[in-house]
Amino acid sequence: MQFDFSVIPQALPELFAGARLTLYITVVGLLGGFAIGVVAGTARAYGNRAVNAIAMAYIELIRGTPIVVQVMFIYFAMPILLDVRLDALTSAVSAIVINAGAYIAEIVRGALLSISRGYIEAGKALGITRWQLFRDIIGPLAFRRLVPPLGNQCIISLKDTSLFIVIGVAELTRQGQEVMASTFRAVEIWSTVAVLYLAMTLTMTLALRLIEKRMKIL
Amino acid sequence: MSMVEFDNVTKAFGDLVVLHELDFAVERGEVVFVVGPSGSGKSTLLRCINALEPITDGALFVEGRNVADPRTNIREIRREAGMVFQQFNLFPHMSALGNVAYGVRRVRGKSRREAEAIAMPLLEKVGMADRADHYPDELSGGQAQRVAIARALAVNPDLMLFDEPTSALDPELRYEVLRVMRDVVEAGMTMIVVTHEMSFAREVGTRLLFMDEGRIALDGDPRELMAAPPNQRFADFLVHIQ
Repeated sequence: MQFDFSVIPQALPELFAGARLTLYITVVGLLGGFAIGVVAGTARAYGNRAVNAIAMAYIELIRGTPIVVQVMFIYFAMPILLDVRLDALTSAVSAIVINAGAYIAEIVRGALLSISRGYIEAGKALGITRWQLFRDIIGPLAFRRLVPPLGNQCIISLKDTSLFIVIGVAELTRQGQEVMASTFRAVEIWSTVAVLYLAMTLTMTLALRLIEKRMKIL
Repeated sequence: MSMVEFDNVTKAFGDLVVLHELDFAVERGEVVFVVGPSGSGKSTLLRCINALEPITDGALFVEGRNVADPRTNIREIRREAGMVFQQFNLFPHMSALGNVAYGVRRVRGKSRREAEAIAMPLLEKVGMADRADHYPDELSGGQAQRVAIARALAVNPDLMLFDEPTSALDPELRYEVLRVMRDVVEAGMTMIVVTHEMSFAREVGTRLLFMDEGRIALDGDPRELMAAPPNQRFADFLVHIQ
């Protein structure tokens, strides 16, 4: 077996560009997913029957189908079905938004329901509004319980972006394949790609540890 | 106008009736102790007053406002009825000072600085000024409950509701909470206290309600009732509680 590590420095600019795009899709997708997750999770925890049913249908639909199918649907089926045409990058971001949103919704719901009734009653007894109760008491307490599972979802979503190779988004895995096609150095290139993913996920893990440490309570 | 008026109040959880057509009033300045065996409806009675539990039937007026009337703004009632819980329920993400100042900021619309200027003397009054920056998990049960009393007092209520304030405390910590409650009595506050602290009831109470199976079985002066129990149930209760 012979290795040619000299291909790595040559490939790095392309791989870095891919990693940047991977990060972009992940971060923008997770921000959107968090927004949707908070709304859907709150609907599940506190919503009336109708709102609850809508949120549940969304969550089950997304959790019950593979993300590859979801992104293919957005990219290839939506133009036919709804005459909505999204470019590959927007489709990729949208797929993370709706996919992570469903999982985060369940995380949010669990965190909200874990808040002890005593704190809620103490807030109510003071005479604050429901919005104040949510913003000042339930929200901050739930957020502390949210962080560990949310970190898990961040890592999953980051790795999920590699599946967007199927719609040709120039993310890290796709870039790895491109370089492979011209160099045929599988061991060197895929090892480098793996290390780049690992660097991103470990950085995320580290950042989350720091956040957890700063929120010492509960 | 009575401070609190129960007008044929019934409360049921499903088929289980826990309060049977209660009819009584509490006047301004009264210090009412509500005692009775567990499951007799004491806590539920208290929690109906500030609408933590909705009543099933009848009318319940707090300073003339009916909690059962959908047009009543429940928050206005809650602002006038401070509550202290058995489990303290201090907000765990706020310091002692933050807990006491919180209600003042939100309910009385003060700035943080103004609210803390109101909160600090209250912490001093309950002997917790030196722990102002401590978080609830750094406080003993007795300390936490004293902060919780300050938190309820801070919004300047007309009435204080105590739901077994010393039941979760070790015997040696109960005293410090009772001392603070005695100060609240001496300040002239109208109080309704659910408790098992019979000697405290005798000492500072102006009125004693003995509850039995969702009804007020006895209503009178604590000293007289305890000196000569008018019925066997109350006599048995007094024996069991000691």
